[in-house]
Amino acid sequence: MKYRYKIGLLFIFLGIISCDLEEEPYGFYSEDNFYQTEADAIAAVNYAYDALTYLEYSRAIFFLGDLATDEIFPKNDEGIDVQNLNNWQVSSFPTNRILTNFFKYAYIAINRSNAVLENVPGANYEENFQNQIIGEAYFLRAWNYFNLVRAFGNVPIHKNVVETLDQTAAPLSENLDEIYDLIISDCQQAIELLEVNQRLGRADKVAAQALLAKVYLQIASAKENGVSLYTEMDKDVNSMYSLAEQTAAQVLEGQSVYGFEDDLLDIYDVEMPLGRENIFLLSMDRSGTIEGDYSKISKLFIPYIDGATIYLQNPNGTYTPSHDGWSVFNTQTEFYNSFNDNDKRKTELIVDSVYNAQGELSATYPGAIVYPFSRKYIDPNFIGDKTSTKPFLLRYSDVALIYAEAAGPTPQAYEFVNYIRNRAGLDDLDPGLNTDDFRAAVLHERKWELAWEGNRLYDLRRFNIVTETVSEASGLSSEEANFYPLPQREIDLNPSL
Amino acid sequence: MDMNFTVKNYVILIMFIITGVCVQAQNEISGNVTDEKGVPLPGVSVIEENTSNGTVTDFDGNFRLEVNSLDSQIVFSSIGFETEKISIPADQVINVSLKLDMQQLSEVVVVGYGNVQRKDLTGSVSTLNTEKVEDIPANSIERVLKGRVAGLQISTPSQDPGAGATVRIRGGSSLRGSNSPLIVVDGFPLGDAGNLKQINPADIESVDVLKDASASAIYGSRGANGVIIITTKRAKEGKTTVRIQQQSSVSYFNSEVDLWRDPVLLAQINNESRINGGFQPLYIGAENSTGVYYPSVSELQSGEWPYFTRWDDIVFRDAPISNNTTLSVNSGTDKTSFNLSANYYTDMGVYKDDDYSKAGYNLRVEHDLFEDFKIRFSNILSKGNRDSNSGLAYWRNPIFPVYDENGDYFLVGTNDYFHPVAISDNRLDKTKTTDVITSLALEYDIFDALKLTSRFNYKYGEYINDQFFPNIYTQAGDFNNGAAYINNWQSHNYVTETFANYDETFGDHTIGSTAGFTYEKYLQRNSSLGAFDFVNETLQNENLDAGNPELNQVSNGKIETELVSGIFRLNYGYLDRYLATFTGRVDGSSKFGKNNKWAFFPSGALSWKIHEENFLKDSKSIDQLKLRLSYGISGNQGISPYQTLSRYGVSQYYDNGSWVTAIGPGYEVGRAGQGGIEVLWGGIPNPDLKWETTSQYDIGLDMAFFEERLSLTFDYYKKHTKDLLRERILTPSSSYDRIWVNNGEITNEGVELSVNANLINKDDFSLTSNLIFFKNENEVIDLGGVAESGLTVDPNTGMQFEYSGVSLEQFRQYPNILAVGQPVNVFYGYKTDGIIQDLQEGIDAGLDGDLAQPGEFKYVDINGDGVINLDDRTIIGDPNPDFNLSLGLNLNYHNFDFSVFFSGSFGQDVINTQRFNQPSNLPYRWTLDNTTNDYPRLRDGRQTYFSDWWVEDGSFVRVQNLTAGYTLPFDGSFINNARVYINANNLYTFTDFEGYDPEVGTDGIYWGGYPRLRQITLGLDLTF
Repeated sequence: MKYRYKIGLLFIFLGIISCDLEEEPYGFYSEDNFYQTEADAIAAVNYAYDALTYLEYSRAIFFLGDLATDEIFPKNDEGIDVQNLNNWQVSSFPTNRILTNFFKYAYIAINRSNAVLENVPGANYEENFQNQIIGEAYFLRAWNYFNLVRAFGNVPIHKNVVETLDQTAAPLSENLDEIYDLIISDCQQAIELLEVNQRLGRADKVAAQALLAKVYLQIASAKENGVSLYTEMDKDVNSMYSLAEQTAAQVLEGQSVYGFEDDLLDIYDVEMPLGRENIFLLSMDRSGTIEGDYSKISKLFIPYIDGATIYLQNPNGTYTPSHDGWSVFNTQTEFYNSFNDNDKRKTELIVDSVYNAQGELSATYPGAIVYPFSRKYIDPNFIGDKTSTKPFLLRYSDVALIYAEAAGPTPQAYEFVNYIRNRAGLDDLDPGLNTDDFRAAVLHERKWELAWEGNRLYDLRRFNIVTETVSEASGLSSEEANFYPLPQREIDLNPSL
Repeated sequence: MDMNFTVKNYVILIMFIITGVCVQAQNEISGNVTDEKGVPLPGVSVIEENTSNGTVTDFDGNFRLEVNSLDSQIVFSSIGFETEKISIPADQVINVSLKLDMQQLSEVVVVGYGNVQRKDLTGSVSTLNTEKVEDIPANSIERVLKGRVAGLQISTPSQDPGAGATVRIRGGSSLRGSNSPLIVVDGFPLGDAGNLKQINPADIESVDVLKDASASAIYGSRGANGVIIITTKRAKEGKTTVRIQQQSSVSYFNSEVDLWRDPVLLAQINNESRINGGFQPLYIGAENSTGVYYPSVSELQSGEWPYFTRWDDIVFRDAPISNNTTLSVNSGTDKTSFNLSANYYTDMGVYKDDDYSKAGYNLRVEHDLFEDFKIRFSNILSKGNRDSNSGLAYWRNPIFPVYDENGDYFLVGTNDYFHPVAISDNRLDKTKTTDVITSLALEYDIFDALKLTSRFNYKYGEYINDQFFPNIYTQAGDFNNGAAYINNWQSHNYVTETFANYDETFGDHTIGSTAGFTYEKYLQRNSSLGAFDFVNETLQNENLDAGNPELNQVSNGKIETELVSGIFRLNYGYLDRYLATFTGRVDGSSKFGKNNKWAFFPSGALSWKIHEENFLKDSKSIDQLKLRLSYGISGNQGISPYQTLSRYGVSQYYDNGSWVTAIGPGYEVGRAGQGGIEVLWGGIPNPDLKWETTSQYDIGLDMAFFEERLSLTFDYYKKHTKDLLRERILTPSSSYDRIWVNNGEITNEGVELSVNANLINKDDFSLTSNLIFFKNENEVIDLGGVAESGLTVDPNTGMQFEYSGVSLEQFRQYPNILAVGQPVNVFYGYKTDGIIQDLQEGIDAGLDGDLAQPGEFKYVDINGDGVINLDDRTIIGDPNPDFNLSLGLNLNYHNFDFSVFFSGSFGQDVINTQRFNQPSNLPYRWTLDNTTNDYPRLRDGRQTYFSDWWVEDGSFVRVQNLTAGYTLPFDGSFINNARVYINANNLYTFTDFEGYDPEVGTDGIYWGGYPRLRQITLGLDLTF
């Protein structure tokens, strides 16, 4: 009896053993416990948008689109990667962190979009709601592949979410048709699924149409201008132009939410993110806690003056305050001089004088202002370095110029171009231009209208004129100028290449 | 109630009653106890076997005891002597002389799930009796182990009160996992060694260090870094003893603080530096750009400038005091015994108001429930209190006053976050800790040879950290208009163990075996509350609601891990000459991937007691000659859990004008790039992830000569660790950056020697010494592929490496690298060849611009391409010591005792980051009048490359400890033992190193700081 009792005691201890070694995730989500509620689906698609805001991606809009062109050059103590990008040191490009990060973030956004596309349809959501979420994910996937193909040419194609080690490696697209077919099809899906619904930080049907128009025009003009890889594409130049024209027309005339803003400064008013021009803005707000959530883009464009608040004079005589900046993006003098002296996009949107709080002139260019700077990224309600300045990703005027370029010298095309010129205080464009001259004239208009908005490099590339336009790129082959090489890390680590 | 009231006791009782009172007197025995030389032994315990009946001898060794039965055996025992059991002779007088305990050989060594006699040990285990280090006050045992055990490397870079130590056994064998040995207290695996603050060092009986795989493999997936087994003091049978141990210490710097005492020189040096750098000099009697007035040199010279502040006097205490009191009570009968000790420890930091205190108790009770069934219970409670006020700016510019004319803190411009008095007065940083360790063990002797043990252990730890950072004076406060936090953390650790020990002798064969299983569960939770933007700061962090509600920050986390194990050990002996041990452990860990949940860790060892062979058995001089050979495999599971699960990230997105939560694949696992602005993404699971595996062989020799007056232990080992836990880089198009994988290999190889000598062994005069030597060499064998692991390739040698550790701001470089074929953490940088003396010399050296000017560093063009650039870097130092050496001497003369302990570390290189920014070295600068080759010129804004100029030999020998004690002659009637002593810790250091002290962390970086503290302790040890 006694022994049993003793042994029983021991067994109490033996009993306290369980053999379940599975880890239960605590405090984090995974594909196993997510995509259940509508809120989950919204959070999932927002995560895809959020990828666009990270510094490594959002700043690259300007590093690639503007810095590598004839618009700006960096201050001389910027990092080596910035200098090399500006100076077209192509041999350093495979290891350039800016390019590698741009590449990586495009895929991060794609992967997050793929996660939505893969998980949301199976989760029994209400149809309209599901259409919207999936439509946005299609848009985002197209947007990011378009970024990739314009920067790098052929890239690995991931159509499914990467969740295991085996899924990490994907082969390169066979040709540009493969990528563009995916982009076009994603845009079409998005157009099909989405409604017109302007909302800060989210894309709608019009954004998808605007993107598609831009895609068609990219293919058409790049192929027409003999850009390698594009010349091998199956797609017909003229049908691409006409698709670009038709799609842009849907944006310009098929809806009533978006339109031209009559006053130039209103387009760039940080307090008017839902202005008529803004088809798709990157969403950033000064109340954010980390950079990317808030924006320091203003600091990149504004020169350092003396650290104090500067005041910019408005055409109506009032003043708009701002912090000064870091002088990172120095305006190229030649670019500044290329504007007509009466062009309001120079007189109103490029700053050469700043004032103090009393309205007294405190610094001018040339002088204490080291370069005339853009007024497109000014937040009068800045908090320290934090601002709500946002990159303009798709703008109504951009689509209007896409339409004009695609359509050629038609009366309607002239009308759009002339509206933009008149708004800037300029005369009508020379009537009676032939198609090539008209397109060249539209390209010039794009240069001035869309300056510092991350478009210039891609315009130069599809016209195949990078080497002749950008002095730092002169002497490069057109292949080197039109496509960045894949990141070395991708080449080294992707066994499918 | 006495459950052990057997028939025998009844019989005795009945006989007792029958024989009556007259018989009683006849049962008194008496006698005298001496040592082998006839010297009387006081305090010897004299007990009638199997009863609670006993006494102790008086000061002359005499005793008198009434026994229950004249048939009983009488047991004589005393610490340091062999226990004697003697039958009562007819005359009832027992005069006995006790033999000195042959300590070395009969010592019991704790090896994990069992004990073994040292003479039968097959693995490499070092034992330290804490008596040797009892005189050194310490918060945790680790700090006093330095130099005491061969192969155990301890460094104590932090001097904060309550700080722990870095502990390594036989070098580090992991790159990203833990390198700290497992610490086990009374069978309870607690975790990484480093700061065992829960256990009062005075409660520790012995420390056993398991070094080779044969010894540590029993701890399986956590044994790869070695195991430190702590055995606390057990309750003992015998009469009640009360012991008081009191230590009071005072500390002071062992050298002067290196600060500017001459404001004129300070200003001259600063002006010269700024002028040389092309900047406007500061000390010109004008306001600088931030509106701070700096006096001119002449204002300082003439004494016109009224201020000179000795900030070190304001910041530091003159003599921080610490106190350590332990009171213990120990008593027991043959059935129940207990040991209760209480401790109160206070330690002042060298900074004013920087304090640490700890109070706790340790209760241990043992009871024989049945004659073959024992219950052991222990409960340890420790409460700690840390008021942190360290890191104040004692180096602040002395020309500025503490207060301005209005009595406000004098701030140097805006953004002055270094005013020590302002911070000290307004900042809050307090931590309260509670630790409980409780253990219940049942031991059941099923029959003589078979014993079953079941243990249940529970450990609880918590801390609450209160912080407040005031506006204006601190950066966090200034950015947020006051920042307040409450950080909570708690952990629970459950371990159950059930195992059987079977020990039997069959003729010439002896077998000892252990088998059992254990289950461990660890649970940790934490939460943090932050509030910002306070209208009024008086409440500090007492009311977080008072902050701006829009800025509140909360976070929480939980970690849960499980480990299930089966253990097995077989010891086999033949003729007491040939010994073999086999151990095995099967571990199942929740931390590892689903394809690798289970692991088996075997080890084996052979030992040959050559001295038992006939040809040596009768040797007069050789007492022991034992050869040991072992090989085994152990693991390291030291990474954080949940690495094998798919994990989504959470972020915020500004959707339609408000912040919403965004969730999806990929979460932030780290940061990279300048200023950490690039996010690294992870989140793909690796189902193959597993432990790091270390295989180790060891050859050892134990020798003892001349009646054990000279003993010697030698070990050679080689450890090979593979499957190192590392992060692999993923292809960027995967949208992930990192995944944990097993790749990489590292080896550690070394020798250890310890020699104990009993040099003089007379009645009233003895001298013993022990010498410890150990040497460890490690080498990185493999780090994975160049692309996969993102390795850099040295352009001159093709050496593959990656940067490790921390980036040094003054060089804008990581000084340490992990390089294939090199020891871990070697230094990588430029070589220098003195100082450039003229421009042509600079240009010839391949330098240009500012760097080619006279007075600049003359970097060496290693690849000879005519220019100095990144390709001219090479390995310029190794922070790993060539060898460690320590020597202890103990002398006893009559009632006096004296001991000294030297510890030394040789051949390690140290990066002296302070070599050219201190008042003691800046004045030696190169100038046109002083064209030295030793120091460069002053030049503000210089981009200094990391070079061998900053690397110094960090070898040192330290007089680690010195104790002088006196034992007072008491007769034992009331006070049994009384000893007073004085102890000096860190008395003096011999070194060529130019900074305060060359003892730095394993990366070899010397950060400056303040001098090392020398601690003088007065101690009193009383036993009643």
